[in-house]
Amino acid sequence: MKSGIMILRIMKKLSTLILHNLNKAKGQYISFGVFICLTAFIINIALVLAFQTFDAYDDLFDKLDTADINFIIPQIQDNDNLLTEVEEINGVSFVEKHGGVFTPVTVREFAGSDFDMNTVFYNIDEERKLNLLDVTEQAGKSGDSAYIPMYMKKLGGFTEGGSITYSIDGKDHTYHIGGTVLEMQYGNYGTGLIGGYFPKAVYEEFAGKYSNNAVKEYSIKTTENADLSEMKNIISEMIKGKGIALLSINDRAASKQTRTMVCTLLIVIFLAIAAIILVVSIFLSNFRIRSGVEDELAQMGVLKAIGYTSNMIIAGAVMPYVFVGIIATVIGIAVSYAVLPFVAGILAIQSGFSYTPVFDIMAMLIVVLTLTLAILLFSYISAGKIHRLEPINAIRGVVGEESVGQNILLFIVAFCIMVLLSFAGTLLYNVNIKSDNFMNTLSEELPSVIFTAEDEKMAELKKILQKDNRVQLFMEYASVPVSYTDGSLTAFVCEDFSKVTNDICYEGSSPAKDNEIAVGNALADDYPIGKEIEITVGSQSQNYIVTGYIQSVNNAGAVCQLTSKGYEKIGEKTESVNVYLYDKNADAFIKEYEENYDTVVKSSVNFEQMSENGQMMYTGIVSVIVIILFVISVLMVLLVMYVIINSMISRRRQEFGIYKAIGYTNRQLTVKTAFEFIPATAVASVISAIAGFWYLPAIDNVIFSLIGAVKNQFEVSVWILIIFAVMFTAVAFGISVLLSAPIKKITAYSLLKD
Amino acid sequence: MNKQISISAKHLKKAFGKGESIQVIYSDLNIDIYKGDFTVIMGSSGAGKSTLMYSLSGMDKPDGGEIYFDGVDITKLNNDKLAVFRRKECGFVFQQIYLIDKMNLMDNVITAGVLTSKNREDIKNRAEELFSLVNIPEKTWRKTSAQISGGEAQRAGIVRAVINNPNVLFADEPTGALNSANSAAVLDVFTSLHDKGQSIVMVTHDKKSALRGNRIIYIKDGKIFGECDLGKFEQDNMERTEKLDKFIKEMGW
Repeated sequence: MKSGIMILRIMKKLSTLILHNLNKAKGQYISFGVFICLTAFIINIALVLAFQTFDAYDDLFDKLDTADINFIIPQIQDNDNLLTEVEEINGVSFVEKHGGVFTPVTVREFAGSDFDMNTVFYNIDEERKLNLLDVTEQAGKSGDSAYIPMYMKKLGGFTEGGSITYSIDGKDHTYHIGGTVLEMQYGNYGTGLIGGYFPKAVYEEFAGKYSNNAVKEYSIKTTENADLSEMKNIISEMIKGKGIALLSINDRAASKQTRTMVCTLLIVIFLAIAAIILVVSIFLSNFRIRSGVEDELAQMGVLKAIGYTSNMIIAGAVMPYVFVGIIATVIGIAVSYAVLPFVAGILAIQSGFSYTPVFDIMAMLIVVLTLTLAILLFSYISAGKIHRLEPINAIRGVVGEESVGQNILLFIVAFCIMVLLSFAGTLLYNVNIKSDNFMNTLSEELPSVIFTAEDEKMAELKKILQKDNRVQLFMEYASVPVSYTDGSLTAFVCEDFSKVTNDICYEGSSPAKDNEIAVGNALADDYPIGKEIEITVGSQSQNYIVTGYIQSVNNAGAVCQLTSKGYEKIGEKTESVNVYLYDKNADAFIKEYEENYDTVVKSSVNFEQMSENGQMMYTGIVSVIVIILFVISVLMVLLVMYVIINSMISRRRQEFGIYKAIGYTNRQLTVKTAFEFIPATAVASVISAIAGFWYLPAIDNVIFSLIGAVKNQFEVSVWILIIFAVMFTAVAFGISVLLSAPIKKITAYSLLKD
Repeated sequence: MNKQISISAKHLKKAFGKGESIQVIYSDLNIDIYKGDFTVIMGSSGAGKSTLMYSLSGMDKPDGGEIYFDGVDITKLNNDKLAVFRRKECGFVFQQIYLIDKMNLMDNVITAGVLTSKNREDIKNRAEELFSLVNIPEKTWRKTSAQISGGEAQRAGIVRAVINNPNVLFADEPTGALNSANSAAVLDVFTSLHDKGQSIVMVTHDKKSALRGNRIIYIKDGKIFGECDLGKFEQDNMERTEKLDKFIKEMGW
């Protein structure tokens, strides 16, 4: 209390000095404020997302009484004893069974194309205590209604009142969309399964048609401290021990990670950007304070002479930055709330659930305190020189030591900005120009077309493809569900993994023999290379030797690779062929094959279109990030150059006056001044561009490993870096010319007056 | 009448530079400054006049010796204590004036005043009185140093220097940057302050300025080379002028 009153008293004493300092360099403080405002804006978005998205997810999860573990088995293998046994597992507090139909489907016109996904169809009218469905009914129930999950509405572009066509085994079923279902069990494509919902009558008709695919879903609520992973193992063992096929098992933690993946990415990127801007702001204030001390050395000396202590003078220099910083932080936080609903809307596309961000006092306190303390600390350090100033030396203009020069500041800022630009450029290049790199990082094979053919027709189809000169490559490749001791896996089955176009193996190698397997990153800890793993399909099991690890973002790492021959030891021969075309013309290609070879081709998928759709989910987000980075970079160059040039002009008024007196024109002086900034900017750009080959893959690796993409396939384009370095230097030069205009106002006479 | 000592410096040492380039300013200098005196320090360029004055006022630290200011050895004070000492005991007037740029005259004075007074209104009232005393009209109080003449700026500088009622007012060549009319006006202010009992220590090499003092000290070769008591200043007093002329001639001016 006492110290608070003392601080207030000191502030009152210093108010004239602080206001004077604020007033005399308004432009400098405004530019500093803009930086801090931007930093606060970005950090607050990141923190609110971090604090609220995951909580909103959990709240919705609890509100809808979502089960902690769900597993699905064929209905035909279900029995009452199993329910009792599951209920008796230690840590299980409640179990509920739901009926369903589990089948791979192709959704027609999903964002303009076909979209394949494993779907479990449910009766929406079935009474539930767990996995409740929050249904938004728009068009009412009717004889042909279907209800779609939020993810399909947000990304697939389906709307209530419209229609949706599910294609199962080549047969189309079209339904009228009765409404949207918000559920927390599946959510998005990344969880490997998605829900489909029908009213009772429609469901019963549908289930009757696909009675072979009827499943029972066990939804389990656990006690508070239950170990979900261990429980999954126990359940898997139990199911396996009974010879029952485990079609799917998922838990709360894995679903949450998958559905909040982009949010995590955004938070990391935003915090990284904010850190860079904060570093630039701190260097900027450091430069301003240090050059301020030098410019006003005599005045500092006078203040000391009339009795100001060093700390009082430092407070006079630092407090304007703190005040401006606090105001700018509050403005930045306020503005961030205008943008947060938009950001949350973008995230809903990927997460499959939406929420409205609300004011977060904790986020605000963290942003305000962090930025204020950072400003206070670093500006105090910058002004520390004042401590060492002897009043008489200051009055006589003896500085005592060299200051941080404008070129060093410019170098640091240019380097930081180039890091941002290079990152943005690399994102842009790999997502929009060489988009395969991005998709390869996030997915598996990316063929143009997938054909399926009966076993006996496969050889014929391959012969036809062999002769087609539009076909670059084809191979038997399929994704099939298998299971292992701890749960289900998606197996990528290929006749020859040396032919794949996207090598997702990040350690060891893909299987080459029929007794080999590569497993996903989720299994890497439990199955070292060389160890055996038992894989089951239905009632058939086989041991395989682990040869390597593969990455998978979409299935949370629960995947494996098997050779076709290896898989055929436990499962039926797969029917899919991946076809890679030279040109992007999959539509015409499929049409031609469906017309000319309808007896050979059983079904076809335009994968080219599908991957473009998948990409669509990310390109929007990446574009927003890239635009933000560009705007921030230009703004930073503008503000930093403003501060540097302004300070330089005021310091070198006499020199410019002399140049004018001896006959230099305004244009000559402006260009000469602007050229002085070229070396630092150009050298920083070049060094940053060269260093980019090292730090960009490192940054990308860190970011993508957060979402499970261990093997990041981004390329760093030398051309992008060169173009950005040149562009940045040119923009900095242009801005320097514009900002050097006040030199015109300096007259030779004003030199004499000074 | 016995004069009361305000500042007493003993065995002062001061040198600039190191090694071969060392320049000894004074090696064993002793001086007393008396309360109520208008002490003028004269000497040739580089004699160490300003260095001595800044040492006596706690602006600069001597390399050795003691300086007792009202009985307190200020050479023992740290920087912060020296700052507090200066704000209470000293006022400074500089040759280059050094008003704070872009700050109006009133705020310049308040910036110094707030250091010793809690009441802003009191400071303002005293500043207004002092501005009147030095003949700076009200319309000028809100102007900055760039908007007024050098003479007005220096008179404002004096107001800033005396706003806290210093024990001693130190002035370093206060008319050095002014024309003769402005110089006379500034010197009149010093005389007026001295008449009101203000102790003043002024460094100058200007004879007209020196005539305003009652005690002239001449520094040469790092020592007090001579001292002259001129008595109270009176306008057009030829006797004082001749006495000063004679003194500085003897000193080798």
